[in-house]
Amino acid sequence: MASTLISAKLPPDVDPTKAPIAFGRRALPKLNREIQSPEVLTQQRALMALCDLVHDPENIYQAVQIGFLENLKILLLHHDSTVRQKTTEILYILAMHNVGRQGLIQNAVIPVLTELLDDPEDICRKNTHQVFDMMAKLPEGAVDILRAGLTPLLVLKLKTESDEIQELILGTLSNCLRVEASEALATDAITILKEKLTHPSVTIRSKAAQVILEIGTHPEGKTTVCEEVIPLLVSLLEDTDPEVQASAAGALMFATIKPKGRCLALRAEAIPRLLKLVAEENSRARLSAIKTLTMLAEVAEGRRKLLEHTDTFQQCLRDPSEAVKRAAEIAIRVIQWKPF
Amino acid sequence: MLPALRPPPPAASALPYTYCSPPRAVPARPKYRAPLEADEPVKEAARWANLMYDRRVVRGNTYARQAVPMCIHHPSVFEIQRQREARRKALARKRAEEQIQLRTPEPVEGREHVHVQTELYLEEISDRIIEVDVECQTDAFLDRPPTPFFVPAKTGRDVATQIEEGELFDFDIEVKPILEVLIGKTIEQALLEVMEEEELARLWAHQRAYAELRNAELAEVQRLEEQDRRYREEKERCKQLQMQMLQKEKETMEKIAAQAFAKRYLADLIPSVFNNLHESGFFYDPIERDIETEFLPWLMTEVEETLEKKTLGRVMLDSLIRTVTEKRLDVFSQKPLPDQTEALAEEHMPTDSEPQVAAETEAADQAVKADEETDQPPDEEQASRHITFQLEEADQEEMEDSETD
Repeated sequence: MASTLISAKLPPDVDPTKAPIAFGRRALPKLNREIQSPEVLTQQRALMALCDLVHDPENIYQAVQIGFLENLKILLLHHDSTVRQKTTEILYILAMHNVGRQGLIQNAVIPVLTELLDDPEDICRKNTHQVFDMMAKLPEGAVDILRAGLTPLLVLKLKTESDEIQELILGTLSNCLRVEASEALATDAITILKEKLTHPSVTIRSKAAQVILEIGTHPEGKTTVCEEVIPLLVSLLEDTDPEVQASAAGALMFATIKPKGRCLALRAEAIPRLLKLVAEENSRARLSAIKTLTMLAEVAEGRRKLLEHTDTFQQCLRDPSEAVKRAAEIAIRVIQWKPF
Repeated sequence: MLPALRPPPPAASALPYTYCSPPRAVPARPKYRAPLEADEPVKEAARWANLMYDRRVVRGNTYARQAVPMCIHHPSVFEIQRQREARRKALARKRAEEQIQLRTPEPVEGREHVHVQTELYLEEISDRIIEVDVECQTDAFLDRPPTPFFVPAKTGRDVATQIEEGELFDFDIEVKPILEVLIGKTIEQALLEVMEEEELARLWAHQRAYAELRNAELAEVQRLEEQDRRYREEKERCKQLQMQMLQKEKETMEKIAAQAFAKRYLADLIPSVFNNLHESGFFYDPIERDIETEFLPWLMTEVEETLEKKTLGRVMLDSLIRTVTEKRLDVFSQKPLPDQTEALAEEHMPTDSEPQVAAETEAADQAVKADEETDQPPDEEQASRHITFQLEEADQEEMEDSETD
């Protein structure tokens, strides 16, 4: 006997929460119009559909061309949390592609996103920080973030946010501080980062060490890092996770450039730990450890201690990576340098 | 069992009659069970069956029937066994009572009767009968097979048509575009997402490797800068030290040179000073000085006086001579000319000799200076007197000049 249902299962793509997509090139303009409609439901449905479409880079390009970003900027400040959440998600997916990133920079979306840092919804904040993280990986994006004055805000947020978001913030900060560190130092970032160095989570520790590394590339940062953080970093060299070790070795590499830092590091017994890191064959910290030992070898005490261990560096000369070989040669040369 | 049929009540009564259990005909029991996969329970249980062919109805004589047990109770094997045993026991009791007389005599003392089998083949005797259970069972009832497809009787003409393979369409070719689209779309979407993630992962890995290299190089650069700065400062300091040292050396050398020079310069200062002082007369011999200051002036004054006296005498003599010659001249002026020319020649000769004489007198009177006016031999010629006096003046001037030299 026939029944009115054609099949027991529903057709695969009927999702009542999404707006129906027009065919081909008309899809995005139609969604653009729907987004501007006064009804919240239409806006939400359009955003859901858009979210799926932007996984395709061609759609991203078209969206940026049409001028989607202006409307999305307006929607960022909408009163409805779903709208905000979906908008931030779309911006995150846009930021994952180069075209999208360029579009975000050109349309000055970042200052508007700053408003969302205090959003009551967790997921909105998380998406916002993900957008910042992605943007910071691009040099122009990092400059943009710095110009929007986000660094002090982000440093303050480190104290209050959850772990996931902290990881994202630390990633953003490390890329931004590579360009310019003075603002962060003004807001006393080093104290906060010192706490994070002893956090139970591995990712947070390694990322915090990365941030300290980037601060140390600047001269004014080096002094601050020298004074406060070196003993902690030396203790992190013996951490269980190789990521943390690599980041800590990198941070030490920059901190020991100044003579004061070198003395502090020597006093904190950095040399045996660094030698252990160098001796491991596949360690990612190898390059940084060799460089740090080179710095320490500039001091007479360090040279004395390292003269006994030159065979470790000889071993490094056989490493497949070109950079490690060069670093090992330089290290051997510095260790065997005599003042006369 | 068939429900008892109640006769309908006669006549009319106020209430309509109702059955406790309304009479109904027993529906036929279908031969086969209903198939399990029916969509809906079969509503109609077939038609009313014919009573004559109902298996549940008793057939045959009902008056001469054996006693049928009321309850259809199939005794179990064990119960059957027990019943049989009971029957056997009854029989055995009966036989045992019969056979009491036919018993064999009692055994002698010390012996025993034993039942023995004497046949060729021994048999095991036991109360229990050896039973072997054999079962037989008919096959389980089969489910009703599905109704065979009803093929109505053929009417009409048979016409056959056949589409050979490949006539309508080539499946392989036709299906390709459809398949392509289907699979293509699916794979495209999947690829997109996978590519996204892969691209990102590779980008981050690449970036991390690059960041490591960059950091290493940056650190190297900064280290070399630091080293360079240190060396430069060292060099500056050394240079400063060197320069100071050189400066000091130079100063010392200059000082030494100056000292040597000064020493040498002033070596003969004292002798020369003494010399000068000596020459300017600071160290004087007192006696000499005494002589010079007192004796000699006195001597000179005495000499002057003497010379003055001499001069006076000479002047007197001169005046005498003049007077004389004037007188003579007056006398002679009355005389003729040749005396004048001789006087002139005589004047010339003494004038020639006068410078010589003046020179002689100079030489002679060098030691004695002062105002010696004349030392010429007095000239006796009057005409020459003026000239000699002029010459004397000139000579005196010369002598004074030479004296004052």
